[in-house]
Amino acid sequence: MSHLRREIVKVLFQRRTYVGWAGLLAIPFIMTIALRLSTEQPSEGHGPPFFSSIASNGLFVPLAALAFLSFFLLPLVSAMTGSFVIAGEAETGTLKTLLTRPVSRSGVLLAKWFVAVLYVGVGLVLVGVGGALAGWLLFGVQPLTTFSGGQLGIAEALRLTALAYAISLVGMACIVSLAVALSTVTDSSLTAAVGTLVIVLILQALGQFSYFDFLKPYLFTARFEDWFNLLRQPIPWRPIWEALLVYSGYIVVLVGVAVAVFRRKDILS
Amino acid sequence: MSDDAGRTRVSEVATEVALTAEEGRPAVEERRPEQEACAGRRVVLSTHQLTKDFKGLRAVDHLDLSVCEGDVFGFLGPNGAGKTTTIRMILGLIYPTQGHVQILNHRVPDQRLDALRHVGGFVDVPAFYNSMSARRNLRILGRMSGDVTEARIDEVLEMVGLSERGDSRVGGYSHGMRQRLGIAQALIHRPALIILDEPTSGLDPQGMKDVRELVRELGRQGTTVFLSSHLLHEVEQVCNRAVIMDKGRIVVEGPVSELRPARMSVKFLTSDQPRAAEVLGRLLGVGSIAESGAESLRVTAGDGLVPEMVRHLVAEGIDVRAVVPAVEQGLEDFFLQLTGASSEGNDQ
Repeated sequence: MSHLRREIVKVLFQRRTYVGWAGLLAIPFIMTIALRLSTEQPSEGHGPPFFSSIASNGLFVPLAALAFLSFFLLPLVSAMTGSFVIAGEAETGTLKTLLTRPVSRSGVLLAKWFVAVLYVGVGLVLVGVGGALAGWLLFGVQPLTTFSGGQLGIAEALRLTALAYAISLVGMACIVSLAVALSTVTDSSLTAAVGTLVIVLILQALGQFSYFDFLKPYLFTARFEDWFNLLRQPIPWRPIWEALLVYSGYIVVLVGVAVAVFRRKDILS
Repeated sequence: MSDDAGRTRVSEVATEVALTAEEGRPAVEERRPEQEACAGRRVVLSTHQLTKDFKGLRAVDHLDLSVCEGDVFGFLGPNGAGKTTTIRMILGLIYPTQGHVQILNHRVPDQRLDALRHVGGFVDVPAFYNSMSARRNLRILGRMSGDVTEARIDEVLEMVGLSERGDSRVGGYSHGMRQRLGIAQALIHRPALIILDEPTSGLDPQGMKDVRELVRELGRQGTTVFLSSHLLHEVEQVCNRAVIMDKGRIVVEGPVSELRPARMSVKFLTSDQPRAAEVLGRLLGVGSIAESGAESLRVTAGDGLVPEMVRHLVAEGIDVRAVVPAVEQGLEDFFLQLTGASSEGNDQ
C-alpha cells in the first residue's frame, strides 16, 4: 500500500496530471456544444458511432465520446501515461533516487502500472460524467433506444454506460501495459510512447484487412468496439467476455515482461 | 606491498617509490588481505572481486575494498575510473558481472533490500520530485526506509542548511541546494553507512566548505561515510582512509595521512645545472631531476639523501648556493603519478 500511496501522491503533485484530465473532461463538452450549435446534424450511419443519435437523446453523448476517443486519443493518453512509468522517472533521474531505497523493484513497477491505469480510469470517469452532464444540459435525457429497437430506462442506460467505460478501461490497460513494458527497455519516455502508438496503429491496421482475419480475435485493438454489444437486447455477453479475456492475456504477458526486464535492469540514468 | 591486481598499499608506497626512482612512480607488489584493513573494527562495507563489464568494456575490475565502522572513506579517481559504477553496484542499481558487495551482513545484489535499510546516499547528481517541496520529498523518500518523523525531517534540513527553504518546491532549487538536499535524504533514516558521490560537485566555495564540514562532523559522530571524489585535497581534508582507483582497479589504498610519498622534492641553487644533474643522477635513490628556473635543479629523493647529495656536489667542485624545499609534493602529484603508472601498465 505504501508504494501505491507514494505513486498516487506523486501523480497528484504533477501539473500535467490535471492538464490531461482537464483536456479529457473538456472533450465531451466541446463535442456536445459543437453538435448543439451545428445547423446540420450527422445523419444515421454517418460520422462517428452514436453521433447521429445525440440530438435526440443526451444519454448518447458519453457513449459517442467513448467511441470517438477510443480510436486515438485514449490510446494516446494511455501510451503517454504508461511510458512515463519507468522511462520518465529515468529521464528525470528520480528512478535511481527511488531504487536506492529498500524497495522491491517488482512492487515499484506494479504500483506504478496500477496508478497509470488509475489515471486513465479517472480520465474515463471525467469523460463519462462530463458527457452525461453535457448531454443532459444541452439535449436532455430520455430512455435510450438500443440497436435492437428496445428501450432502456435512464438508470439502466447509465449503468450500461458505466459498464462500457469499465470494459474500455481494461482495453486501455493493455496499452498502458505495452507502454510500461517498453518504458523498461528505454530511458526515453518519448521513445516508449511513440513505440507504443506505432504498435497500436499497426495492430489497428492489421484488423482492417480481411487477409489478417485469422489474427483478429487475438488483437486487443480489434476489441475496442465490443462494448457496443451492451446496447443490444438481450446482451450478447460472449464477445464481451472474450474481449476481457484477450485484454487480460495481453496485460498479464506485458506486465510480466515489464517486471522481468525491470528486475534485472541496470539503472544507469 | 601491493596485490596481484596492481594495488599498492599506501604505507608501502614510500619504500616502493624510493626503489623505483627512475620512473618516479610507485611499484606494484602483493595484496594486503582485506580483513586486515579494519583491525578489529566492524566492516560496514566490502566488495569482493567486484567486476562490471559494459559491452566488452571492463568498468570495474575485480575490486576488493573494505570500509570500517567510523571511517570517512575516500574513494578517489579520475573521471572514468569506475567510481560511479562501483557506487551503483553498492546501491544495487546495477548488477555486477562478477563478485558481490557486502553491507554489514547482507550481500548485494542478493539481499539488496536488507542491505539498503542500512544505507543512505546518492549517485551522480541527486534527483528529486521537482513539483514537491524538499520536506515532502524527504517524507516520501525517508518513509521508504522506515519511520521518519517530522522532527527528524526538520533536523536534517537544519543540518544541511535548508530549514528556511524546506517548504519550497525543489524545482526552484539551485544545484547547490539539491546537493544539500541529497545529503539530507541520505541522512534522513539514520543509516549506518552514507554514500556520497562527489557531494561538493558544482558547489560554490562556501558550499564546499559547509559540506566538507558536515562530512567531518558525521565522521566525528561515528557515522561511516563513503565519499567519492576526484578532488584529492577534499579527501585529504575530510577522510581518514582512502583508495585511489584508476581504470576500474584500486591502485593505492590506506590511511589518508600516509597517502603521500615519503620522498620530498628539494631545489638545488647552482650555476652549473648540467654537471650537478649528472652528479646527482649517479646517486642511488635519487628520483627525478629537472631544471627548475635559470639556476635551479628540482630533485626528488628521500629525506636522508640531501646531505649526501650536497657532499657529492661539493666534492665535484660544484657550487651549491642553497638547498631549499621545493613546494611540497601533494596528493595531486601523487595521484597523477599513480594513475599515470596505471595507464602505462595497462598500455603494455
